[in-house]
Amino acid sequence: MIREFEGKNEQEAIAKAMEELQVELDEFDVEVVEGSKRGLFKKGNVRIRVRLEDENSDYEEKIITFVETLLEKMGYPSTVKVNYRDNAKLGLEIVSDDSAIIIGRKGKNLDAIQLLVNVYGGQLNMGTKIVVDSENYRLRHEENLVKLAFSSAEQVKRSGRSRLLEPMNPFERRLVHTALNTMEGVTTKSEGEGLYKQVRISIDDELPPLRKK
Amino acid sequence: MEKDLVEYIAKSLVDEVDEVSVHLIEGEQSTIVELKVAAGDIGKVIGKQGRIANAIRVILSASAAKSGKHVQLEILD
Repeated sequence: MIREFEGKNEQEAIAKAMEELQVELDEFDVEVVEGSKRGLFKKGNVRIRVRLEDENSDYEEKIITFVETLLEKMGYPSTVKVNYRDNAKLGLEIVSDDSAIIIGRKGKNLDAIQLLVNVYGGQLNMGTKIVVDSENYRLRHEENLVKLAFSSAEQVKRSGRSRLLEPMNPFERRLVHTALNTMEGVTTKSEGEGLYKQVRISIDDELPPLRKK
Repeated sequence: MEKDLVEYIAKSLVDEVDEVSVHLIEGEQSTIVELKVAAGDIGKVIGKQGRIANAIRVILSASAAKSGKHVQLEILD
């Protein structure tokens, strides 16, 4: 797809293109067709030609069809929408009456669907990660994890005993580590083998406890 | 229906689409789904440490949740 945009300067023309096409800066090629430098009294005018990769929407369409067909064959016909897109991620939203089953216990089914879509998508386009969500499950889950991290850390501080959280995947563990990174008095460490390790929260004894003067 | 589902997933993942075959063995309470793919494609339906195979199994049981039947996936080589 090729479109032309005009603006007082190149930046303005690019901003217009991004606004109208709903794309990020690194998703298209820009070529200046006509440009006049702004003189002291004269307003400049720049025309740019924007080339957008059609591949992108084609790719999205294939991914969406894959998820919709998969869900239909599972017996849960659903609609799949694009939730967000940025340079390395494509967020999909499954809208369905059966979202409870589609999400599954602890997001198990959602994770399985996401894994298959990513394997399928990997053949089409290297480097884009697809995130599959339904009913905002992932956002709610992340919030709950951070809350759990904070409340467990408080307990560790109060009791002085370390706590071992349930097994989590790398992404979940990272959330816990980052949440407690800035918290004083506790440290976090992953224990175990494989993909699903457990985070242990313990008292940070490297630093002496803060005392009030 | 399980046959259709597994066939669709397998065909989306492999190179040699025509070599995909799915065979159902239906019991009273459980169904065994046997999946056969080209020798070179086996890794594509199993994945590292069986991650893809396990994802297919999870999806199969989610799909069977409505009927309450137990479904098992076996990948033949």
